[in-house]
Amino acid sequence: MMLSVEDLRVYFSSPRGDVKALDGVDLQVSEGEVVGLAGESGCGKSTLSLAISRLIYPPGRIESGKILFQGNDILKMGPNEFRAGYRWKKIAMIFQGSMNGFTPVFTIGEQIEEVLEIHQYAGDFASRTKDLMKMVELDPVIAERYPHELSGGQKQRAFIAMALAVDPPFLIADEPTTALDVVTQVNIMNLLKRLRKEKGISILIITHDLALLSEIVDRAYILYAGRMAELGTAEQIFKEPKHPYTQGLIGSIPTLQSTKIEGIAGFMPDLANLPPGCKFAQRCPYAMQVCGKEEPLLKETKEGQRVACWLY
Amino acid sequence: MPAGSTRTPVVQLENVSVYFTKKKLLGPQATVKAVDGASIQVGRGEIVGLVGESGSGKTTLGRAAIGLQKPTGGKVLFSKEEGQVDIGTLKGRSWRQMRSHLQIIFQDPFSSIDPNMRVFDVLRIPLLARGVKDRRKVEGMVSDVFGRVGLPTDVLSSFVFQLSGGQRQRVSIARVLLLDPEFIVADEAVSMLDVSLKGDILKIMKTIASDLHVGILFITHEMAVARVISDRIAVMYLGNVVEMGSADQVVGHPLHPYTQALLQASPTIDPSLREVLRTVNVKGEIPSSSAHPSGCKFHPRCPFAMDKCTDNVPELKEIEEGHLVSCWLY
Repeated sequence: MMLSVEDLRVYFSSPRGDVKALDGVDLQVSEGEVVGLAGESGCGKSTLSLAISRLIYPPGRIESGKILFQGNDILKMGPNEFRAGYRWKKIAMIFQGSMNGFTPVFTIGEQIEEVLEIHQYAGDFASRTKDLMKMVELDPVIAERYPHELSGGQKQRAFIAMALAVDPPFLIADEPTTALDVVTQVNIMNLLKRLRKEKGISILIITHDLALLSEIVDRAYILYAGRMAELGTAEQIFKEPKHPYTQGLIGSIPTLQSTKIEGIAGFMPDLANLPPGCKFAQRCPYAMQVCGKEEPLLKETKEGQRVACWLY
Repeated sequence: MPAGSTRTPVVQLENVSVYFTKKKLLGPQATVKAVDGASIQVGRGEIVGLVGESGSGKTTLGRAAIGLQKPTGGKVLFSKEEGQVDIGTLKGRSWRQMRSHLQIIFQDPFSSIDPNMRVFDVLRIPLLARGVKDRRKVEGMVSDVFGRVGLPTDVLSSFVFQLSGGQRQRVSIARVLLLDPEFIVADEAVSMLDVSLKGDILKIMKTIASDLHVGILFITHEMAVARVISDRIAVMYLGNVVEMGSADQVVGHPLHPYTQALLQASPTIDPSLREVLRTVNVKGEIPSSSAHPSGCKFHPRCPFAMDKCTDNVPELKEIEEGHLVSCWLY
């Protein structure tokens, strides 16, 4: 097992009380697997990626739970141990808008070489940088340019090259293609597919764009209001979704084939003041009496597919 | 004529150009041709989708359509009952009266509304500027539009920062509707919203167009969104409209190689694509709008480029009824 998140709770303190961004979440990523995490904004999906990268700072705190990376609980490590041995070396991240994460005053190549230097890469820096640029299908000349000379898609590729600088086995991609044009988006997704095939890298993709997710993941998790609503293989989630929320989400993706407009009525509940019972009950078309009282637990409906819903 | 619509037009853009000159300290001035001779018309109650990559000039065209941006060439005509007026020639009071009929909804509801205002004030102040002062009348109008945009009236006393993105976007639609618009530019109005909320907002926009006979220019980079909401779709590339037709024509039978590429790149729900790389029949990225290629501006990226395309600019031609394309293939 590459990554195993167990019963993780991340709370943010606020004047209105604790905002429960993640409230008992489990997630697994096996070696070489591409796993998707999807949900609406505010459901806690970025909090999870920050927790795995140990980037939760006050007012946020890890209330309880474990994050096992290759069997070691990274939450128990000291900050230096994590920084020296894990961050970027074993767990690399591409964040939303990370193409703006380059500093404008150094060339792309200098910034990639800095990563190599910090992580004590043994080989020749210049040739490694060149290989990395080729790996993400960029002309090695681009390494000599400054970030402002690159287009958005080129910057995103260069950032992926930097993330892969010291061959991490695990990559977190938080909204890797948001803010890119559709044509560029397809190219970045193709690149991630190729990396996974050629390098066997495990990837956790976090996005609100389910259509994009459906084209790349082996398994997907659907997060709602800080809790897992459903998980399963790509075929199970995208072809036979069980949770009314997943069904609603997939139904509301505009596609070229349909001219119908769908949506899920209502809004996500306030995470500082959660209603009792199922958190989706207020928006659910199938809500029953029990839904407003007791919270459903994840139940296996099929091998590999688990749903937190009283309908099953 | 950039016809294709059978409805009475509310706004007509005729051969509109918007050039920006960049002043440089040293060296020559650079001219950015954001819009370079584009013609579009939007009918009453009609939704026209304007699709293109970033840098294609779609936002600038939208701003020109409501007079927020002065065109450097061409005309923007607004049809009133009394006849057509060129909004570029209006000044002072007559312009102020006109502009409440021409409205815009922005992409980011987090920056287009002051977060420290109460919702009621956000809606009341534009009405005040129009001379509606009676509080009871304002309340009546507000509760009327709130029903339309699906907001409960109890958010009126909330501060804007307390609202979610979906609620804020509804407030900005409500704000626009209070001003009795005849033409609305929706600039990526649903791009920032979650999928579950997108549908609702699109439905609201559609009923606004049909019930209130408002013309809407719906700017988006997502073909699928344009498809579900639009009556007609116009595709823009580097400042020009390269294809225009009914939503069915453009999506079902795309003519321009660029439109075809945009459609190929649209994501679909298909887990079986996991093992395959998707091909999009287009090379490279959109060039900078200060250095347009010669001839057909798409030719350096076009898979079908011929000799002719490098030097000759193709005209927008009608291929079938209401379906226009500017490409030498046709």
